[in-house]
Amino acid sequence: MPSAVRYENATKRYGDSTTAAVDRLNLEVAAGEICVLVGPSGCGKTTAMRLVNRTVELSEGDVLIGGESVRERDPARLRRETGYVIQQIGLFPHRTIAENVATVPQLLGWKKDRIAARTTELLALVGLDPELGGRYPAQLSGGQQQRVGVARALAADPLVMLMDEPFGAIDPINRERLQNEFLRLQAEIGKTVLFVTHDIDEAIKMGDRIAVMREGGRVAQYATPAELLMDPADEFVEDFVGADRALKRLALMRVSDISLWEAPLAHVGQATAEVRAKLRGAEVPYPLLVDSERRPLGWLSERDLAAETVPAQPDSPLGPLLDLDDVMRDALADLLQGEAQYAAVADRSGRIAGVLSVEIISEFLASPAAKTEEHGAVERPHD
Amino acid sequence: MASLAALALPLAKVGEVGKDFFHERSSETLSCQANPDKLFCFEWAKDNIDRYGTPTVQHIELVAISILAGFAVAFALALLAHRHHWLRTPLLAGTGALYTVPSVAFFFLLLPLTGRGRDTAIIALSAYTLQIIYRNTMTGLANVPASVKDAGRGMGLTGRQLLWRVELPLATPEIVAGLRIATVSTVALATLAVFAGGGGLGDPIYDHITFTTNIILAGGIAMLMAIAFDLILLGIQRLATPWLRAARGQA
Repeated sequence: MPSAVRYENATKRYGDSTTAAVDRLNLEVAAGEICVLVGPSGCGKTTAMRLVNRTVELSEGDVLIGGESVRERDPARLRRETGYVIQQIGLFPHRTIAENVATVPQLLGWKKDRIAARTTELLALVGLDPELGGRYPAQLSGGQQQRVGVARALAADPLVMLMDEPFGAIDPINRERLQNEFLRLQAEIGKTVLFVTHDIDEAIKMGDRIAVMREGGRVAQYATPAELLMDPADEFVEDFVGADRALKRLALMRVSDISLWEAPLAHVGQATAEVRAKLRGAEVPYPLLVDSERRPLGWLSERDLAAETVPAQPDSPLGPLLDLDDVMRDALADLLQGEAQYAAVADRSGRIAGVLSVEIISEFLASPAAKTEEHGAVERPHD
Repeated sequence: MASLAALALPLAKVGEVGKDFFHERSSETLSCQANPDKLFCFEWAKDNIDRYGTPTVQHIELVAISILAGFAVAFALALLAHRHHWLRTPLLAGTGALYTVPSVAFFFLLLPLTGRGRDTAIIALSAYTLQIIYRNTMTGLANVPASVKDAGRGMGLTGRQLLWRVELPLATPEIVAGLRIATVSTVALATLAVFAGGGGLGDPIYDHITFTTNIILAGGIAMLMAIAFDLILLGIQRLATPWLRAARGQA
């Protein structure tokens, strides 16, 4: 498959400085992938991104989009084929939302009704009420404005999307929402995206492949998030990824990815002798009370088992109830929050699927099975 | 020697505007004037209001033409300086220098070149508007957020498209503010056009310079004119910037 974007010894030098902001960058971005450029401030990641749409001009080398050199295109025309989303959003304050989104289609000479239809489609796609089209940017919140920014960039169906810390100026709650929604959008439309960020967590969350850059735009490692976390290429990457990379790996997994333990199940009114028999040799030393539909109700204690039959009200409350679809990191957080050793895991219909504990998680992380796991973009957890 | 001779001609013209200029021209007013405590002679005002008709029209013409000419020149200079940064300081200094020339002296300096009449007055009045309009246009353009320009360029707008579709519309409030200041001060300055023989409300003022009623009438008309121009321009600005109204409504 031809690469959508390819850097060939791309170099950018400012003035007559001898050190290059981007020094002979060689990188290939596959079509339909989100390639994240991540690194410390000043490493040249933004400059490298801007070489693609010539908002920064190459000093040496080349950048090819779909096999065609950017040097051979008229910059203005080239930019109408690349989506551009920046941190400060940059919506035109004097134009309505609809007019902002219609900017590039208008430049390309689309017909009015085609533009109107496309605008409505895009606003819905980025999760905005199409009625907002008549408002001005100042009347929208920051999160809404950036959604418009994304819609605007997608308007003319560009070959490549360039996003420079697009969610950096948004508050953390909305940032997470926007990230999730963009991933959902990407699953639908599959654009080729060059995404710049300084936040390694965002890189891991968003990227199909991540290029960790150091000074001069030099790529220290270009790999999938899982590879990056499990096998950092050198000390720089290791430091940049962070000492908590084991925990970061948990963000890439779901509870359903590992084999859970089984707790002995008990029903209300069941003879406690039966339950005690099940306890012998069980993986989890506490019985779980479930209803007739096998939905977890609570945990049984020694005192509960002292009676003849299983009581309706268990001594211990259920505590955290996890879901098979939960992201592993969130599941661990719930476990720790609930100060529970074990947590019941239910499936989508609420029926017991197994039991999770911290021990299970750490065992799994250390196991060889975890090291060979491949996490494709489509299966990436992003709720 | 030659320079003295060059000065002689304009000074001779000054002589025409001799010491009589400031004396009471007619006796009609004397009866009303006889009472020094009377501030405003209503009778006289009612009878003589149409004297101010032609001067008012002349005054409006002076202001309108001067502002239009001044705006055309200053705006063109600002666009040049926006493109070629090195022009900024010299143009600012140049327009500023014109502004420092005292108005009456300006008229007299122009007299040997353009003679007495409306044109001379208009040239000088336009020259005075240049600095404020030029400076405000530059400020307006400078205040366009860098992120908006970055996004515009990044989306594929050419330099010219960016200027006319984005930068200038966003600079409109500052440009119109400059126009308003220029217009109001031109209305005031145009009363001196009488020194260049340019007509306007300066004519009736200096016809009866010691007659208070006259001063109040002519001055009052000038003030109302200034306010009217100001409000018209303000209205134009409001119409041209619907996005600011929307933001205000939301606040």
